[in-house]
Amino acid sequence: MVKFLKLYEKIGIFILIVLASIFLAIVSPNFRNLDTILGIIMQGSYGAIIAFGMTYAITSGGLDLSVEAVMGLTSVIIAMLIPTMGFVGAILIAITASCFVGLINGLLITKMDVNPFITTLAMQAILRGASLLITGGRQIVISQKEFMSIGATELFHIPTPIVYMVVLFIIFYIILNMTTFGRHVAATGSNEQAAKMSGLNVSLIKIIVYILVAFSASIVGVIRTSQTLIGIPTMAPGFTLNVLTIAILGGTSLAGGKGNLIGTLFAGIFISMIYYGLNLLYVQIFYQMLAVGITLLFALFIDGLRNRYLNVARIKGIRV
Amino acid sequence: MMNNNNIFIELKNIRKIFPGVVALENVDFDVRYGEVHALVGENGAGKSTLIKILGGAYQLDGGEIIIEGKPVTIGSTSMAQHLKIAVIYQEFNLVPDLSVAENIFIGREPKIGKSFINWRKINNDAAEILKKLEIDINPRKFISDLSVAEKQMVEIAKSLSMDARLIVMDEPTATLTEKEVVKLFSIIKELKAKGVSIIYISHRLDEAFELADRITVLRDGRKIETKKISETNQNEIVSLMVGKIVKDYFVGKKEEINEKEIVMEVKNYNIADSIYDLNFKLYKGEILGFAGVLGSGIHHLLRSIYGVSQKTSGEVYFEGKKVEINSPSEAINLGIGFVTEDRKGEGLLNDMSVIQNLSIIIIKTLTFFKGMFIRQKDEFAVFDNMAKELNIKYANINQRIIYLSGGNQQKVIIGRTLVSECKVLILLEPTRGIDVGAKAEIHKIMIELANKGISIIMASSELPELVNLTDRCIVLYKGKFAAEFNRENMNEEELVAAEIGKLSYAVN
Ligand SMILES: Nc1ncnc2c1ncn2[C@@H]1O[C@H](COP(=O)(O)OP(=O)(O)OP(=O)(O)O)[C@@H](O)[C@H]1O
Ligand SMILES: [Mg+2]
Repeated sequence: MVKFLKLYEKIGIFILIVLASIFLAIVSPNFRNLDTILGIIMQGSYGAIIAFGMTYAITSGGLDLSVEAVMGLTSVIIAMLIPTMGFVGAILIAITASCFVGLINGLLITKMDVNPFITTLAMQAILRGASLLITGGRQIVISQKEFMSIGATELFHIPTPIVYMVVLFIIFYIILNMTTFGRHVAATGSNEQAAKMSGLNVSLIKIIVYILVAFSASIVGVIRTSQTLIGIPTMAPGFTLNVLTIAILGGTSLAGGKGNLIGTLFAGIFISMIYYGLNLLYVQIFYQMLAVGITLLFALFIDGLRNRYLNVARIKGIRV
Repeated sequence: MMNNNNIFIELKNIRKIFPGVVALENVDFDVRYGEVHALVGENGAGKSTLIKILGGAYQLDGGEIIIEGKPVTIGSTSMAQHLKIAVIYQEFNLVPDLSVAENIFIGREPKIGKSFINWRKINNDAAEILKKLEIDINPRKFISDLSVAEKQMVEIAKSLSMDARLIVMDEPTATLTEKEVVKLFSIIKELKAKGVSIIYISHRLDEAFELADRITVLRDGRKIETKKISETNQNEIVSLMVGKIVKDYFVGKKEEINEKEIVMEVKNYNIADSIYDLNFKLYKGEILGFAGVLGSGIHHLLRSIYGVSQKTSGEVYFEGKKVEINSPSEAINLGIGFVTEDRKGEGLLNDMSVIQNLSIIIIKTLTFFKGMFIRQKDEFAVFDNMAKELNIKYANINQRIIYLSGGNQQKVIIGRTLVSECKVLILLEPTRGIDVGAKAEIHKIMIELANKGISIIMASSELPELVNLTDRCIVLYKGKFAAEFNRENMNEEELVAAEIGKLSYAVN
């Protein structure tokens, strides 16, 4: 069992991807051409990018459930500001506002000592409400076609969202694995009290983490808005669950302290493959939700097993 | 079937493998009725692993366990309980969010009807057991509010409440002060008289020699020898443990300090319910000891100086300047280092590797590009150096810290603070759970540091350590100053008397 889990920890997500690829290659001749594959990766990039941020939150011992509302907020702000400011200014303000939301999340969680789950869930409701209020509940059509250059074009034949994903992956990966800040995030999630005793400013670390999550969600908000040219206050309902699924499936332990961004990247693509496969099979949208839910449970199950078996401290902690 | 030489439990050919480590190989071990059998060995020798097998926490990879002549399997902790084996683990096994009473009776709560816990009975029964142990803890208190020593006593109470036939104690006295140790010993002797078998693990050989009938030495996962206590001596056991003849582990005294330059001064210090009007000075290059039994408030005092918890009033002067230390990071910036007594709760970064655990305090300095990127080469150099100095045993640097043995974890936690080059070092029970060799090594390092001008505050429940190592020793009793000793008049008898409030004695 332990061996299996260790192996899974290392290569589990790749095996899932290989299995999914074989399956898709069999059922769909289209799958064998590059454009389809790029399409799948692009669809996966949205979840993956936010899941990079989520990986930080989980690694620090927390969680952020407000990401889809941050996307909506971003979308609405851009649509409102674009006519007066042009898209560059609108994007910058939307991202800044989102980071501010992350800051508030972080402050509530650290200074008021509220549980991250509850805090960010409340934030989700607040942001959704606020976004709907701003627009009067309507969607706003954007007429500046130039804005499409952000998320609906290609760079060297690669769709820009994939480019963003790769760039962000590299940055997030380097920060988490090679910098002191990344080390501090892991220490905080591993044992907060020990991190404090070692002189880390745990509050500041967590605040930055929540800003990073909001930032990554905002980026995806920008991309999606640029593709549709509509400001949608209720953008991507239920997407938070996808993001969580991706992060946990990728091997980042809910117990904190251990973040696996490579896993997150590939889990994002895997989830997209599932969607694609289900679409091919003409499965109703409800089943897709079902599939994500089941995948999340599976990921949680593995995570639980791993914590149980691989963490000696926990073995000893089992109630006698 | 009753065995002729009254063997209660017998372990044969025990083998246990972890990835990359053979923790136990070919180990034979037995315990008789009413016998105290001491189990000793260096850090990482396999002691804890052996008793975790008895407790059902680990499964055997080979060998067999025989109880009263019948082979048994101990597949889980509840099976161990069923076989009337109680294990007091080195790392506690208590649920922090439950009360003391609930923890003592966990899984065996007295019920009203089928499902309701009989609170009155559980609290009364717990109070009774605690009283028998002469422990002054309210059974309704939460575990998370207890000190480490109190937790240890609750663990002991828990195992006593089980009517166990074999009680295994993994370094039970490591966290206790003199007074509780005495109590524990008298309980062990009572149990023994009742025919209960006891396995006793400790790094303090004098304890083993006081309590045990036989002693078994493990080294690198193998059994070296089992001897009758009456037929051996401490020197022989130490030689068996380390595998060579050792002369003496006493490290000698540090140099006396000549000029008395004050580094830190604490004035009129008060902490709610634990410290009252305390004053003391710390000189440059001095090792200052603090002694006291449970409830002395020493740990509260030192934690508060480090900024972990709040004082109610009082002043701290550091290098002549008045300072307010509100968090450990402020203390670290001033140059104060701290080693916690609560390794599991606030020391170990469980999910992280051995090397990352060692470098966490100074990682900021092992960097390039304005402190942002970690220079792995530097990190490794620092680790390698400390690992050699403290003789830390690990499989590889990326091994997670929780897979090290208890003593090796402790070495990493101490090393973490030692590498941070501070001016004042506060050590709570620094050599807890550390084997003789490494302990001498740590004492030697402390002396070297002090000779270099670093001031050390050490709280220890081991009196010989205090007497041999410190320049001065302050004794607190119930949060108040009780006595102060210097090199000339320091002795164990009077220290003990002062610790229990029977002596007040001061020199300047
Ligand atoms: N869960 C584990 N995974 C991997 N290695 C382990 C695990 N538990 C123990 N070990 C290794 O097994 C060896 C024996 O460890 P054990 O904890 O039994 O030592 P010990 O004699 O109790 O030492 P100490 O005096 O330091 O407590 C050590 O090398 C340790 O690193
Ligand atoms: Mg041990």
